Amino acid sequence: MERKEISVALVGNPNSGKTSLFNKLVGGNQRVGNFSGVTVEKYEGTVSHNGYEIKIIDLPGTYSLTTYSPEEVITRQYILTGKPDVVVNVVDSTNLERNLYLTTQLIDVQANLLVALNMYDELEKQETIIDLEQLEKLLGTHLIPTSAVTGLGINDLLNHIVDLFTDKISIKKNKLTFSALMEEYIEKIISVISKDEELSQKYYPRWLAIKLLVNDKDVYKIVKEYPVWIKVNNILAAAIKEIDQKFDSDPELMLKEERHALIRGAIKETVKYPQKKKMNTSEVIDSILINRITGLPLFIFFMWGIFQLTFTLGEAPMNWIDTFFSWFGSAASMVIKEPTARSIVVDGIIAGVGGVLVFLPNIMILFFSLSFLEGTGYMARAAFVIDKVMHKVGLHGKSFIPMITGFGCSVPAFMATRTLRNKSDRITTLLIIPFMSCSAKFPVYILIAGTFFGASQAGNALFGIYMLGILIALITARLLKTAVFKGESEPFVMELPPYRMPSFKVLIMQMWQKASLYLRKAGTIILTASILIWVASNYPKSEEITVEYSQIKQDVTNSSKYDENEKKEIFQKLNFQEGTKQLEYSFAGRLGKLLEPVVAPLGFDWKLGIALISGIAAKEIVVSTMGTLYSLGDVDENSHELRERLLANPDYNQAVALSLMVFVLLYIPCAAATIVFHKEAGEWKWTAFYASYTMTVAWIMSYLTYNISKYFLL
Amino acid sequence: MNLTRLTYCAPNYTAKISEIIGGIGANSNIASLGLKIGDEILFKSKENGRGRIVIEHNNSEIKLGRELASKILIECNEEPILTLDQVKVSDVVEVTKMGAKGDVRFRLLDMGLVKGVKLKVLRVAPLGDPVEILINGFNLSLRLEEARGIVVKIVEIDKHHQTNKKRWGMFRG
Repeated sequence: MERKEISVALVGNPNSGKTSLFNKLVGGNQRVGNFSGVTVEKYEGTVSHNGYEIKIIDLPGTYSLTTYSPEEVITRQYILTGKPDVVVNVVDSTNLERNLYLTTQLIDVQANLLVALNMYDELEKQETIIDLEQLEKLLGTHLIPTSAVTGLGINDLLNHIVDLFTDKISIKKNKLTFSALMEEYIEKIISVISKDEELSQKYYPRWLAIKLLVNDKDVYKIVKEYPVWIKVNNILAAAIKEIDQKFDSDPELMLKEERHALIRGAIKETVKYPQKKKMNTSEVIDSILINRITGLPLFIFFMWGIFQLTFTLGEAPMNWIDTFFSWFGSAASMVIKEPTARSIVVDGIIAGVGGVLVFLPNIMILFFSLSFLEGTGYMARAAFVIDKVMHKVGLHGKSFIPMITGFGCSVPAFMATRTLRNKSDRITTLLIIPFMSCSAKFPVYILIAGTFFGASQAGNALFGIYMLGILIALITARLLKTAVFKGESEPFVMELPPYRMPSFKVLIMQMWQKASLYLRKAGTIILTASILIWVASNYPKSEEITVEYSQIKQDVTNSSKYDENEKKEIFQKLNFQEGTKQLEYSFAGRLGKLLEPVVAPLGFDWKLGIALISGIAAKEIVVSTMGTLYSLGDVDENSHELRERLLANPDYNQAVALSLMVFVLLYIPCAAATIVFHKEAGEWKWTAFYASYTMTVAWIMSYLTYNISKYFLL
Repeated sequence: MNLTRLTYCAPNYTAKISEIIGGIGANSNIASLGLKIGDEILFKSKENGRGRIVIEHNNSEIKLGRELASKILIECNEEPILTLDQVKVSDVVEVTKMGAKGDVRFRLLDMGLVKGVKLKVLRVAPLGDPVEILINGFNLSLRLEEARGIVVKIVEIDKHHQTNKKRWGMFRG
């Protein structure tokens, strides 16, 4: 039976409008996942056309079929081994010279190639004329003018895909002919490789030969596995020697120069640019946005804008989610009478789901803004403006956005590292984000600084804490880049694409895709983790304490000494006291006591130990746990009672307070963030490093803070 | 003979000032140093990077800032050979040699920075690094340290950088 499904791969340069075209082709009928093993997103969609199911995969944007970034590896891998029925090369027709470079490489691998001349409407506006027929002849394939904006050529492209699949049309599979000298070497290598049947079956020999000559490390590795390698290596050595002697050059340089020259020649032959170039709007916008004087202030303004949008605008929906879940929780506690079941449902499950969903507004707004910046083309400019600073610590300009997002919340910040293409940059940025003090730590600082430093000094203490975090982050980046990722700095060879207005639909779609990725990948685990933490702080329950307190309550009820109101008050106090005792008895409480020797050198007692452990669930819980431990019930950072209790404790002083703030600043982020970290880093070793590194740094810095400051502070 | 910026020339030879292309301010600064068109100057030394330029004029030594010196055009006795990081904003150059190594080289070559290609330096980032160039009709940014590996020759110097509002449109065909 005839196969009715066609697999199509979309390949193209970044900023060639590939993603917009993909959305136009498949509409909402798409899903996002990850390529196995890497955090590169994989977009797939299907569209029915003339009775065929066309399955389209949108491969990551790449300039070349090399293997320098994970995106490039994936694209190349998929085209070589995934064997898509048709490869559609999406080309920005307003920038043919650079875009055709990838096209010629696709010709090299003998892909079943169709070329979509995208943004054709812009080209027409520029009054540039392409001799399509001649260019088709040169490339040996079909060119389909398309535009994701006007919808031009979408149907035509689908027709071509079906026709090519059903052999109604054919492509020529031309080859690029290099200079006589290079061709000679290519032929020599092909003749050797062809002797190995397995190798030449698996890969197209001419492609291997070209790639060997341009020094492609991965292809070297492939060919090295085969016995023909020795002969191939001899030819390569001869080529390098001859070209060095004759031209003071090397094969890689020669081939790439020739490739560019071939493209230039083809364009000269087929493209007519208008006599007068129109005013370039991008250039005008750039002369303001990245101007030497206004560039930096505007950059700071935009960053501030994103931050404000994400966390200020995000606050309202976060509160709604919070309110909804606490309402839902209390509603559920009315219905469920049995105390244990009630606690599981209300404090465990409902609170856990709420804890997952509460990050959604932040994530959605942030990714909407980031997609907007990326879509307009400002993202590359932002990196351009701030790169000098970031490069000082070995990072790329693009690391800046995830870093500042970390001041709001680590969860979206970790996810924002996806914009970084280089793995070592991504891991380094992931590892320094925890030191950017997140907003959930703020209530803890307010409580501690407000209590121990008074109004005049609290601000200084707070400022110092934030600065310390940034300092530790920069030192960490520097250390990682010099010790772990030696010499793996990402070059800043980056396109600054023309400014464009991204379509609102695409922005919404990308936002929703990020949100659903978070819910599916991290949400379930975060939920599990928060239930586990709930279990740890509630179990085991001590029967004795329960019995003891019900006895006392019984006595109070029976007593005639108090009136009804007094009884209510006493009951509340008794409940808090019981809660404290039970917490001490629970796993979390025992762990806190067990860890007392570890935290004692930092000036902490076991109560602070428990509070810090509970902070792993979420940082703001540190405050409410302290409330519980001081038998105050539900408190917030402004509770006078808690402040008085803390001040009354002779063991606490300014040195302890400072040490505690340092520890809260630096130690491992909350469970939700940790899980997202793991999803983004992708390897256990990095998660283990992250956990131990943050803990070690926190301990050492707190130890130093406590032991130095106790001589100076009260 | 090559008319070019003083800062592009190799040091240690005598030449005549052919043109002074600054705005009103720069030109009066140059004039106040006693320099005028037609004067013979001995270009003595040039420090790499942002150092000052030392010239000898009427037997006295004059130190000029790079910015100011770049506004003085002289006839160079040989074609100036520079690396891309030394090129002033809005001048046009042609790549003569790709000297970058490793990953950067690979990227630059893939982006079309091969021998013979013409490019224009568009701007420097607000903090002084990286730079933005126009090549093959698109804008590319790269760090100064990456630009240092690209050897270029001067094709056209922009004489009206400050005042020229006309947008630049070559490299199309």
